[in-house]
Amino acid sequence: MILLAAEDEGFQPPGVADFNLPPIFGDNPYTTKPIFLAFLSVILISVFFIAASRKALIMPSKLQFAGESVYGFVRNNLGQEIIGHQFMRFVPYLFTLFTFILTNNIFGIVPFLQFPTMSRVSFPYVLALITFVVFHYVGIRHKGLLAYIKEIMFPPGVPKPIYVILTPIEISTYLLVRPLTLSLRLFANMFAGHLLLLVFFLGGDHLLQGVIGLKLVAPFAFAFGIALTFFEFIVQCLQAYIFTLLTAMFIAGALADEH
Amino acid sequence: MNRDNLNHPRNEEGALWSIVGYLISGLLIWGGIGYGLDQWLGTSYFLLLGMLLGAGAAIYLVWLRFGRE
Repeated sequence: MILLAAEDEGFQPPGVADFNLPPIFGDNPYTTKPIFLAFLSVILISVFFIAASRKALIMPSKLQFAGESVYGFVRNNLGQEIIGHQFMRFVPYLFTLFTFILTNNIFGIVPFLQFPTMSRVSFPYVLALITFVVFHYVGIRHKGLLAYIKEIMFPPGVPKPIYVILTPIEISTYLLVRPLTLSLRLFANMFAGHLLLLVFFLGGDHLLQGVIGLKLVAPFAFAFGIALTFFEFIVQCLQAYIFTLLTAMFIAGALADEH
Repeated sequence: MNRDNLNHPRNEEGALWSIVGYLISGLLIWGGIGYGLDQWLGTSYFLLLGMLLGAGAAIYLVWLRFGRE
């Protein structure tokens, strides 16, 4: 076994390099797989929801029912319950966000696509930046610039000297930590999940090429990989949900009047 | 925070993540200031003091924003 491993350079564990996919067309760096996946997701989402809502019936078809379930979930559970009476203004954004992230996450376990777009950190960065702009804009529009800044920087009911300690924390929370944790949580979950699947499936494949003893354990690696694929599906849904939930929370916070 | 439905479980879930955000930024900001002081003065204890102050202040802030009612 050691001899064999030495001959074919051993197992190359998957790593960060597996996420740097080469351009598809020549050496144009804007034609990588994640970019096409993002466009594909937009097409799929549009086709699905246009088809689901085209012939709206009293007795809905299965397709219409599926589309309305997703919409109703975002509208009621993420919009209405979190944001409150002004929620309808934000449902289009929340809905777009949720379906876009969900579809792109699930690409990670769709056969042949098998790459979660959000495991390239630029995608979550941009989404978090949009959320960041939206909730600050909403807050400024709702309360006026000065009142909004005052509310962020000075939580009420504190002795004045304490603000020296608290205000820097508040500023960094709103301007830095919130968008950063929002994007990194999504990115890290998708990155780690994809890596985990790569380890088990590439590792299983490598075991299959080993001696007979190794061939016998390979099925366990594949079985574990399949189990993890189902686990990944849960994580992918959860992360899309958390991202949208936090966006709704931030909007609700920007709209809430201080008591 | 939308006070009207703060007690809703889904809202608590979100509040949980906001709390994590506060704790992280408390440690980062005051730990960072402590680290800067250490570099400037050639000492080594301001980083720890800053992190303690930041963690304490962040917990206080969480209480202000979420715990008081």
